[in-house]
Amino acid sequence: MRKRYSKEKKHRDGEIPTGSFSDIAFLLIIYFLVATTLMKVKTITADLPSGEKSEQTETDKTPIVNLNGTEIIFNDKPMSMDELQERLAALELATKEPAERIIMLESTKGTPYQNYFQALAAISANDGVVAIVEEDK
Amino acid sequence: MKRSRKKKRKAIPVPIASMGDIAFLLIIFFLVCSEVSKDRSDLEVTLPLSEYVEKTKAQVVARVAVDKDGAIYFDGDMIDDPKDVEWGVRALLTNTVSDDQRHVQFKCDSALPKEIFEPVIKAIAAGGGIIEAVGERDE
Repeated sequence: MRKRYSKEKKHRDGEIPTGSFSDIAFLLIIYFLVATTLMKVKTITADLPSGEKSEQTETDKTPIVNLNGTEIIFNDKPMSMDELQERLAALELATKEPAERIIMLESTKGTPYQNYFQALAAISANDGVVAIVEEDK
Repeated sequence: MKRSRKKKRKAIPVPIASMGDIAFLLIIFFLVCSEVSKDRSDLEVTLPLSEYVEKTKAQVVARVAVDKDGAIYFDGDMIDDPKDVEWGVRALLTNTVSDDQRHVQFKCDSALPKEIFEPVIKAIAAGGGIIEAVGERDE
């Protein structure tokens, strides 16, 4: 009987066990480190100027890229994506004034985003400013 | 006798009382510094390929996605009209002071036709955003 009594007393006087706190905390850290995903996506940057529709178009001066489905036409000449990149590089847009860097981008209905994206990437990579051409309604 | 005394002295306890405090401080640090992602990684999107894509350096203010069914998402929430993208971007960019704060991530399925994705691109541009179009490197 005496022994039991003494045991109960020990429980009452006992402090909160904090010995395992560090283990819990480190387990939480490991959980956060494992569950966290450091996402870095790959992108192309395109700053499209926004503005009102203009009646005045200078198609004779401004280079124009036409996307007709999977077909690429640059200044009325059909070509491959590699050829387009070469032609855009030859324009040396980086050395020109911002107003002279404009490349018009026109596309027909049904043009897939893959082609649009590649044209956009080629223009942006050559320091061109993309101006989207609106279809006549 | 001398040998046994030496052995006893070697058993020095490492102080681990502050380990819990350090660990909890680290947790708090991670919680404060981490950012909850608004990117919808569960969307079914086949990314377009290009040799010009690079790891994005800009901090994006908004994320716009168009999945393979043509559904538009703005910061993870589905929206009905591309016009909502314009208003959303415009609202986010009202207090911007530099171009670094105008980047908007755009993720779109590579097979989608122009009629679906172009209004969204135009909406981002009309809202004042610089498009960060997500793609994969064409090896």
